[in-house]
Amino acid sequence: MRVRRVLLSTAVITVVALLVASAASAQTPKRGGTLRVSYGNDIANLDFHTAPGYEMMWVAMNVGCGLVNITTDGKFVGDVAESWQVSADHLNYTFKLKKAIFHDGTPVDAAAVKFSIDRLKDPATKSGMRTFYDPVHSVEVLDPQTVQVRLKHPYAFFLHMLAAYRTGLILYSPTATQKYSVDDRKQGKPEAVVGCGPFRLVEWVKGKHLVMDRFDKYFLPGLPILDRVVIRTIKDPVTEMAAFKAGEVDFIASFSPEHVDTLKAQVPNAQFLTGKETTPMLAAMKVTVPKDGKPMSKDRAPHPIFGDLRVRKAVGCYGIDRNEIVKIAFKGQATAWVGMNPPGTLDTVYVNHMCPYDPAKARALLTQAGYGPSKPLTFELMADTEKSVFNVIATVIKEQMARIGVTANIRLVDKVSWMQTTLNDGPWDMYVEDLLSLITLDSNAYLSNSTSTWSHPRHNDTRVDEFYARYARETDPAKRKAIAKELVEFMADNMYWNNISGSPFFMVTQPWVKGYTYNAEFEVHWSTVWLDK
Amino acid sequence: MANGSDSLGVEQRPIRGGSVQESELPVGIALPGRVERSQSPLAIGVRRLAKSTTALVGAGIVVALVMVALFADVIAPHSPVVSDQTRTFATPSWDHPLGTDQLGRDMLSRIIHGSRISLAVGVSSVILALVLGVPLGMVAGYYGGRVDSVIMRLMDLILAFPIYLLAIILMIIFTPTAGLIGTIKVVGAIAIVRIPIYARLVRGSVLSIKEKEYIEACRAVGVRDPLILLRHVLPNCLAPIIVTTTLGIATSIIVEATLSFLGLGTQPPTPSWGWDLKANVSFIQANAWLSLFPGLAIFVTVLGFNLFGDGLRDALDPRLK
Amino acid sequence: MRTYILRRLLQIVPTVLMITLVVFLMMQSIPGDPVVALLGDAYTQEDAEKVRQTYGLDKPVIVQYLIWLGKLVQGDWGRSILTGRAVLDDVWVRLPVTLELIIVSMFVALAIALPAAIIGALRQNTWADYTATSAAMIGVSIPEFFIGVLLLLVFSIGMGGLLPSSGWVYLPGTCPLMVCGTSFWGNMQHVLMPAFALGVGRAAILTRLLRASMLEVIRTEYVTTARAKGLGERPVVFKHALKNALIPTVTVMGLQVGFLIGGAIVVETLFAMPGLGTFGIDAIIARDYQQVQGFALITALAFVFINLIVDLTYTFLDPRIRYA
Repeated sequence: MRVRRVLLSTAVITVVALLVASAASAQTPKRGGTLRVSYGNDIANLDFHTAPGYEMMWVAMNVGCGLVNITTDGKFVGDVAESWQVSADHLNYTFKLKKAIFHDGTPVDAAAVKFSIDRLKDPATKSGMRTFYDPVHSVEVLDPQTVQVRLKHPYAFFLHMLAAYRTGLILYSPTATQKYSVDDRKQGKPEAVVGCGPFRLVEWVKGKHLVMDRFDKYFLPGLPILDRVVIRTIKDPVTEMAAFKAGEVDFIASFSPEHVDTLKAQVPNAQFLTGKETTPMLAAMKVTVPKDGKPMSKDRAPHPIFGDLRVRKAVGCYGIDRNEIVKIAFKGQATAWVGMNPPGTLDTVYVNHMCPYDPAKARALLTQAGYGPSKPLTFELMADTEKSVFNVIATVIKEQMARIGVTANIRLVDKVSWMQTTLNDGPWDMYVEDLLSLITLDSNAYLSNSTSTWSHPRHNDTRVDEFYARYARETDPAKRKAIAKELVEFMADNMYWNNISGSPFFMVTQPWVKGYTYNAEFEVHWSTVWLDK
Repeated sequence: MANGSDSLGVEQRPIRGGSVQESELPVGIALPGRVERSQSPLAIGVRRLAKSTTALVGAGIVVALVMVALFADVIAPHSPVVSDQTRTFATPSWDHPLGTDQLGRDMLSRIIHGSRISLAVGVSSVILALVLGVPLGMVAGYYGGRVDSVIMRLMDLILAFPIYLLAIILMIIFTPTAGLIGTIKVVGAIAIVRIPIYARLVRGSVLSIKEKEYIEACRAVGVRDPLILLRHVLPNCLAPIIVTTTLGIATSIIVEATLSFLGLGTQPPTPSWGWDLKANVSFIQANAWLSLFPGLAIFVTVLGFNLFGDGLRDALDPRLK
Repeated sequence: MRTYILRRLLQIVPTVLMITLVVFLMMQSIPGDPVVALLGDAYTQEDAEKVRQTYGLDKPVIVQYLIWLGKLVQGDWGRSILTGRAVLDDVWVRLPVTLELIIVSMFVALAIALPAAIIGALRQNTWADYTATSAAMIGVSIPEFFIGVLLLLVFSIGMGGLLPSSGWVYLPGTCPLMVCGTSFWGNMQHVLMPAFALGVGRAAILTRLLRASMLEVIRTEYVTTARAKGLGERPVVFKHALKNALIPTVTVMGLQVGFLIGGAIVVETLFAMPGLGTFGIDAIIARDYQQVQGFALITALAFVFINLIVDLTYTFLDPRIRYA
């Protein structure tokens, strides 16, 4: 009797112990391994403060560290900042830093933070983030572990700006930065590209690979779990799919939405990571042209076709069937959208009802503007070859234009030509492109206010600037939302910004890739990733 | 430098056999002695051509293609550019024998219309290269000396570039566009790359004929140079020119397709086989026929011209058989 | 002979100079420059002007070319404006890949062409001959990229990914990088499909040429004499016909390299290989002038040197050739 009871208890204990152990081991990440990532585009160069592009930024987020990061529900967590305080007047941000070192052994201290922010603000650095650091008045070192940023005026999105793509602050080792040249950093010399992130740069050979290894002295103990991350660029989706299917790639960093269904069918247990779109797909219309023909001239005249609001509304608002485009170009994987900031952006506003597909109304407006069978409207629709979906959308728009008696001639150019034309105030009528992902509505300021070089439509309506300014300085979230609504409705009403839909973003991982937290294009961190194989 | 040497300093050796690209070697296909035959070489050639199966098959394909291109509007069941948004990626059916693409355009119609571009570009680029290259070659060979040196240097320069590289750079300079202008740009780019072949070919022939007595006689009598070139020199180059031209069309079509594949040829919505191949390669797993059929069309067309050109060469040069 | 070689080597200089100058001028004719891509989001007209001044892009075209030349004679191939990398470093990394691709393609071409040509010549006008000739005709009518696509479809997408669709594994000993996973087998897997795509077209041409040349030689007098002397068919063919047929073949192979280099651009793009082809195309599209010059230079050098070697081999094979 007693023996049986002993045996039973032992059995129970053993079973329970085994269950607990197995549960625990299922959660315990296997240390080590190499994560093989594939990019769809090349990294431009590795000078984090100046190089453009997602591809570079995602590397920077892993080789470098910043002050704060943002989570999927919009909350902030400290990166190398342990804690921070905002003064009552919203002008002073005081950050207390964790104990951390750069890959070259120098400390991540307040002086290093000051160095990086000053560098970004310096016009000589020519950083693309400079405009966003305009509100920063100065950076003070209070003590080695405490740094204070003083703003010129309240800026509601200061932390957003510090946290994520594309303006996220990446700290550079002052020693390394001063010792090595900008060319050393651009080409990715490991001793020059020194950050404080979980991985340190080992080698970058453009066109072949980028390799980063675990930094053993990373300030979060136990991380990263991986030994190494290797990034390859595979531009063609078919080749990328074949590589993924064959198991040569673990993590596709940005996958073409048109092929999601195909890949799903090929690799049924692959993990597809996506969310609400954070990047807008535009059919932008040029609003003004230089009066004297000199590009970037301050003297503006209305664009011969789209300078007329009626034509903009006819073509861009009522003449485009957004649902049809989403169905054909994205196989339904995107959201038809009129509002200036896409569904996944903070303070997004739904205004699709302002621009329903209405060919009759479009025709009426065109007649009002003087176009008709005797004077047909013809314009040029520019698309670049960076993504094949631009051409598909352009072709569908061409069709839709034909339905309202408008002729759209498609002009395909390569990305560099596109940039040249749009940035240099060159001649164009309408283009299809998906610009950049926006974390907040404020991120779009530099793309759509009346003075920025990057505002391609080049409208000169200063009321837009006023909206943005009010929006950025409003510290009360509810009031901000109201301003956002006004701004988005204003933009739609004037068709200064013509959104068609969101541009979907997909990441694809093999079933054995665990521990990755998806946060759109904003935050890509491989420090918590581990391979279950 | 003796008779028939080119700028490499190598004595010309007639090379027979080989095909397409190889016929465009910078060595002349010298055909001495044929002019002195009593029977018209053309008559002999045509007779031989009619007997050759390869030539007949090739000719058949070429003729069929030309018909398709000419009557594309009539033959094609649908418009190649109008999209039917409700029927994208349709599988081959009675209504759409080759299915539809991503924008719901009928693939068969696109392929039929694509033949126009391919043929137009193939033929025009070669003709343009001929029109520019033959006179250059004749002048260089006939006058020799400085003129020859300069012209051949220029030809060498073009030949020094790998064929695709030069065409690619030229297209980027011209900026690829759609429609007629876009097609003309492609024709121009390919023609420029092909000029040296004809120039060298003709020059080689000219060099071998130049020293003939009767040419000397003509000069002595006082016949003007251009007339000599036209009346006596040119007919002797005719055979290799014809052969090279036919085979050259095949190569031009391949170059055009490759340029389109790289996105540098005629731009959409003008239907082009190379473009369709590239655009649909991404969907090759689910809808393989969308890119395979344009590829097949390219293959058949090029094959036709190659067969015909081969047959022509065999017919016009007796020494092969 | 020695004077001939010397003369040819000297001739290389003006030829290469001319090619690089022409490429330079052509690049300047392309609308756009690298500054836009370089500055990206930070683009402002003032900054762009400053950057142009820093890199000397505002100087007259000829001056820029001469500056490039000046650096070149000191061994500096320039530095990419966009990536900051030294052009020579990039060329060094990419060269083994393209070189191997071209060499293996030639091997593939020969491996197909030789047996086919010999069968064709020996068994002229039989089924075997017609098959070989037709196969050659087909091979020369398919564009390289299409062969590549078909190969991808069958071996990478189908067959459970038997061969890798992209990338590169270096041969042991040839990797100039820090991180190398060299392996002979891995290398073979990566080079096979591209080399095949590139080599098949060449094989077709070589087959036809070899076959025709061999046929021609077989008919010539001295082979008939050799046969009359009572030698068997095999030795006749292999010793005399083949050797003499090799002469035009060598010429053609040398000239094929031009097509191979051009075809490599297309094939490397399709198979995402880190070779000179993708290097050149990316550089041209990005308007990275320095890189394009480096690409033009190495291509021109390769072309010119190979021409020279072909001509020299020519003399070696056929002592009847005299050089002026």
